[in-house]
Amino acid sequence: MTFGEKQTDPLAKTHWRGDMQADYFYPAGVAGDKFFKHLKENDSFLATKCNKCDKVLFPARLYCEDCFEEIPDADWMEVPATGVVRLFTIATLNAHGEKLENPKVMALIDVDQTDGAILGVINMVDLNKDYIGLKVKAALKQKEKREGTLKDIIHWELV
Amino acid sequence: MSDEKKYTGYPPYAPGTHIRESDIQERKISYSWWEPEVQYAWSAGHAMNVFLKGLKNGKIMGIHCKPCKRVIIPPRMFCEYCYGPTDEWIELPDTGIIETYSISYLDSDARRIKEPILIGVIDIDGADPHHGFMHYFGEMSKEEIKIGMKVKAVWKPENEREGSITDIKYFKPL
Repeated sequence: MTFGEKQTDPLAKTHWRGDMQADYFYPAGVAGDKFFKHLKENDSFLATKCNKCDKVLFPARLYCEDCFEEIPDADWMEVPATGVVRLFTIATLNAHGEKLENPKVMALIDVDQTDGAILGVINMVDLNKDYIGLKVKAALKQKEKREGTLKDIIHWELV
Repeated sequence: MSDEKKYTGYPPYAPGTHIRESDIQERKISYSWWEPEVQYAWSAGHAMNVFLKGLKNGKIMGIHCKPCKRVIIPPRMFCEYCYGPTDEWIELPDTGIIETYSISYLDSDARRIKEPILIGVIDIDGADPHHGFMHYFGEMSKEEIKIGMKVKAVWKPENEREGSITDIKYFKPL
């Protein structure tokens, strides 16, 4: 070991290991709460319609994100849990950079009847397939197993 | 925003509602909870690695700087006076003198204690003056301790040493 030699491996010498606690708590908020409680009991999504700019906001929001108009209860609407793939990517590595045994198709899905989109995983994996524009449907957990979070959507399947 | 537009039941400029513990426990509100795995490994670096390995073998290792003719403890890979690399490892005796000390009535968790802990900096013999490290003092009372006192390291038994500064239990009067 000389002065100029660079050392990049923290485990090569005497070292200490530790865990940092960094818990993460994210309340869904007023509109999100309503959205997830609906998802828990139903096989559809909630969206809100802004009458001023004629836009259907998904996931449901209390205020229009374009014109800041408040959205009344009457303009909440139910939309089906189906959509069209806008974009997709195929992950072959996990978050630690290790090779995945089963690659994952992750897609941004335009939800039908709305102007919003949601990220999801498509269960059918074909490395040579172009998923853009394909119709998909959310596969939801059994109602009694749902928790009222995004994880209630197991994956999306091609229709 | 005027009052007649307030049709949703939510105040237009909501002052906010605090989430109560029961709202979370009884899952009255929707939320996500995540405990990310955040691990770290902190390396002592090359010089401190040699120093800590030395402690495991019952040795106090210092390092020499040729241009400054200086023996440095705790060791470093460069001299902070001349910025040159340090050159030669030197085994130092486990004796020294008390450079400074403190009588603490708080333990390491800041709890009040009756019998004080004696801690301070030891100038290690063989190194340059005012070169040393912090440690506990033992086998002496708070009345006996004084600056300039000669001390010697009391080591843990060899099989209990793990390459840590606590491989020395404390310094006792010589």
